[in-house]
Amino acid sequence: MNNPIIRRELFGILQSRRALALQVAIATTFAFLVVLRWPTDATIGIGGSQSQEVFRLFGYGLLATVILLVPAFPATTIVREKRSGTLALLLNSPMSPVAIYFGKLFGVLGFALMLLGMTLPAAAACYAMGGISFQQEVLVLFAVLIVVVVQCATLGLLVSSFAGTTDSALRITYGLVLLCTVIVLGPHLFLQGQDGILATAAARLRHLSPIPAVMELLRHSGIGGEGIVAASGAPARYITIGLGTSILSMAVTISRLNSSIFDRSRSQGLITDDRELSTRVVRRAVFLVDPQRRKSSISWLTNPVMVKEFRCRRFGRIHWLLRMVAACAVLSLLLSIASTTGTMDWDVETIGGILVVLQVGLIVLLTPSLAAGLISTEQESGGWQLLQMTPLTANKILRGKLMSVVWTLILILFATLPGYAVMMYIDPKMKLQIQRVLICLVSTAGFSLIVSAAVGCFFKRTAPAIITSYLVLFAIYALTLLIWLGRDAPFGHSAVETALKINPLATTLSVIKAPGFESYELLPANWWFMGIASASSAILLITQTWRLMRPR
Amino acid sequence: MQANGPVVSIEHLSKRFGEFVALNDVSISLDRSRILGIIGPNGAGKTTMIKILVGLAKPSEGTASIAGVDCVREARKIKHLVGYMPDVFGSYDNMRVHEYLDFFGAAFGIKRKVRRTRIQEVMETTGSTYMQDRYVETLSHGMRQRIGIARTLLHDPEVLIFDEPANGLDPQARVEMRELLLRLSAMEKTLIVTSHILPELSRICDRVAIITKGNLRAFGTLDDIMRTVNERRTIEVQLVSGEDIESAQSILEKCTEDGTEITASPSEAMVRFATSQSELELSETLKKLVNGNVAVSQFRELQSSLEDAFLSVTKGDETAEEADQQTEEPS
Repeated sequence: MNNPIIRRELFGILQSRRALALQVAIATTFAFLVVLRWPTDATIGIGGSQSQEVFRLFGYGLLATVILLVPAFPATTIVREKRSGTLALLLNSPMSPVAIYFGKLFGVLGFALMLLGMTLPAAAACYAMGGISFQQEVLVLFAVLIVVVVQCATLGLLVSSFAGTTDSALRITYGLVLLCTVIVLGPHLFLQGQDGILATAAARLRHLSPIPAVMELLRHSGIGGEGIVAASGAPARYITIGLGTSILSMAVTISRLNSSIFDRSRSQGLITDDRELSTRVVRRAVFLVDPQRRKSSISWLTNPVMVKEFRCRRFGRIHWLLRMVAACAVLSLLLSIASTTGTMDWDVETIGGILVVLQVGLIVLLTPSLAAGLISTEQESGGWQLLQMTPLTANKILRGKLMSVVWTLILILFATLPGYAVMMYIDPKMKLQIQRVLICLVSTAGFSLIVSAAVGCFFKRTAPAIITSYLVLFAIYALTLLIWLGRDAPFGHSAVETALKINPLATTLSVIKAPGFESYELLPANWWFMGIASASSAILLITQTWRLMRPR
Repeated sequence: MQANGPVVSIEHLSKRFGEFVALNDVSISLDRSRILGIIGPNGAGKTTMIKILVGLAKPSEGTASIAGVDCVREARKIKHLVGYMPDVFGSYDNMRVHEYLDFFGAAFGIKRKVRRTRIQEVMETTGSTYMQDRYVETLSHGMRQRIGIARTLLHDPEVLIFDEPANGLDPQARVEMRELLLRLSAMEKTLIVTSHILPELSRICDRVAIITKGNLRAFGTLDDIMRTVNERRTIEVQLVSGEDIESAQSILEKCTEDGTEITASPSEAMVRFATSQSELELSETLKKLVNGNVAVSQFRELQSSLEDAFLSVTKGDETAEEADQQTEEPS
C-alpha cells in the first residue's frame, strides 16, 4: 500500500455510499440464494442435486455481477484524470508509468475482489450442503472469476487510455466486454460439428469468453449450453487466454502512459469544402456523409437541440450511424441466409431468437450511453447554464435531446428489418409473431431510452449517470434471466414467469417462440410493465428537467 | 422597455441559502452604455448577484430589473435583453465554432438568413472569424473567451454581463479583451463585468461596485470609491539628501495628526506618511519642512489604485471580524 494511487483509488471507491450499497446488496442477494434452497427438513439428497442447483445460480449470478460491475470502474479512471489534468501531474511526478498503472489496477482489483469476498459465506454454505467439490469446483470457479475481474479491469484501463470522454470509454469498454463474453461464442454456434480451419478457429475463439468455463464448472448443458460447453478443460483454457490478454492489455496501456498521451497538436479545423477537388471526391465516396463538410445552418423546422446533439456527439454523427445501420442490415441478412441454406439444424424460431438477442443487446448497449448523459453532460460541461439563458423551454430542450436518441434507435431497428422479411418469406405463418416481435422491439427501445434518460437526469456527472443506467437496464434484462436459468430447479414455472414479465428481451423471445421461452405467457403483462415504468420515468424526467430549468 | 432612467436597477437585493447570507441588501443602478465593474474576493456574492440579474437565481428579498423588465417575474424576456457569459465556458465536444454559434443563434430563434450574417458580424466584432472552422474544445482560453462573447452578442442584447472575462488570459489577450469591451461599450451596450484583475477593470469601468461577504461596500465612479474607501492619502516627500531624513521625520511628527504612520527610506532619501489633512494643511506642512532647512525636491500625493481601495475594504472586514471574535471570546 505504499503506492499512493492505490490508496486514493481504493479508498475513494470504498468511501462512497454507492460502494457500501453495492457490497451490502451483493452479500444479501447471494445469501438469499442459499437460504432459498437451504434444506428445511431433516433429510437431504445425497446426490447433491439441491446444492448443485444453488451453486449454478450462485456461479452465474456472480459471473453476471462481475461482468456488469467491474468494467465501469477502470473504464473511467484514466480518461477522467486525463480530462481533469491530474494525469499530467502524475506523469510529471517521480512515479513511473508502471507504478501509476498498477496503482490504478490494484485499486480496482481490490474493490472487485472485496465484492467477490462478500459472496464467500454463500459459497461456503453451498459447499456445506454437500455434493460439490471444493478444489475442483468452488476454488476453480473463484479462480475463473478472478481472471474475469483482471481481464475486465485491464481492458477497461486500456480503453480508458485511448478514450477522449468518459461516456465513450464506458460505451467502448462495455461493448468489448460484450464482444469478449458473448459475441465470441457466436461463430462456434454457427460452425459447430464442422471440420476445417474456420471451425477450429471458432472453437478456440470461444475460450476468450468465461461463459463456457463457468458452464463446465457448473455442469450445465441445458438450454444455452448447446454448442457452448466445451468437452473438457474450458476453465484452464480460459484462465490461460484470459491472463494472456490481460498481460497484453497491461503492456499496451503502460506503454501509453507517458507524455505522448498529451502530445497531440490541436486540430486546425480542416474543412473538406476548402480542400482540393480530388480529396473532396474521395471523401465523398468514402464517407457518403462527410463529417468534415461545412454544415448548413439549422433550419427553423428542426429542433436546434436535436441538431446540436447529433453534431456534438462523435458517435451521433450520421456517418457512424450509417455504418452501424449497414452492419446491422448485413448481419441480419446473414443470419437469415444461414437458416435458409440448410447448413444448420436451426429452425426459423432459433434464427429469430438470435436476431432478437442481437437487437436487444445493441439497444441495451447503446441506449444508456446515448440517453443517460443527456442532462448530466450539459451540467458537467456548463452547457446547461447556457441553455437556461436561451429562450428554449424545458419541453423543447428535452424533446430535442430525446429525439436525437430516438432517430438513432429507429435507424438501428430499421436496419434489422430485412432479416425479419426473409423469415416471413420462409414461413408466412410467422407474420403475426413477427409483427408482435416488432412491437416488442419498438417498445423495448422506447422503454430503455426513457428509463436511461430518467435515471441519468438525477446525476451531475456523465460517468455515474451512464454507469447507473447500465446497471438498471442490465438488472432488468440480464438478472431476471438468471432466474430463468434456474427454471425447474430451484425456481418453479410460475416464479420464472413472474420474474420474466419485467424482462422485455424474454417477452420478445417468448413471442417468437425461441427455444426455452415457448412455455411462458409474458404478454400483455410485460407491455403493462413497460408502459407504467415508461410513464413513471417520463414524469420523473420531465419534472427534473423543469426543476433544473427554473431559477434557483 | 424604458427609454430613460437606469438600464440596470437593483434594489435591496438579498439572497440567503439557509443560514448563509450570499447577498445582503444590495442596491445598484446603472445607466445605458456604462461599464460597471464588480469586484470582491471569492465567495463575496458577485456571481450570485449576476445570476439573479440574468434570471438564473431568485432573490430572497428585493428586486432586480433590466430595462424595466423584472429579472424574476419576466425571466423569459430577460433572456432577450441580456447576453451572459458565465465563468465556465460551456463547450460542446466535436462542434466547430461556426456550428456552436449557429446552434445558439437558432436557440434564440434568429432566422436562418439573418443568423448567417449575424454570426459573421459577431465574429468580426470579436476578432474570431479566422477560427470559425476550429473545433470548440481545441480552442485556447483566450479564443474561448472571444467565442463566449460572440455568443452573447448573437441576439443583440442591450446589456452584456461577463463573469471573469479576463481570468486566465495572457497579457496580450488581456489588452485585446479590454479593447473589445471598450468597443462593445462604444456600440452603446451596457456592460457588467466581474474580475479579479483590478488594474484591467480600473482602465475600462466608469462605475465600480465593491462587494465583500454579500455586502455592497462601495459603489460609484472610481474617484468616488477612492474618496470613500481611502480616508487618508499617502504623501511622498523626496529629499535632496538622505542627511535630512531625521529632521524631516521630526517635523512631520509634530505637524501631522497623532498616530500618523511615517516611514523613512534613507537610501532613497524619501519619507512617506498617510494623512487626512486638507490641501491647506498640507501646504502648511510643506512650508514647515522648507522653513526647517529640509531640502525638499518633490512633495506629492501617491495615486492610490483600485487595488488599494479593494485591499483597504477587505482589510477593514478582517479587522472587524477579528474584533468580533475577541468580543465573543469568554474572559
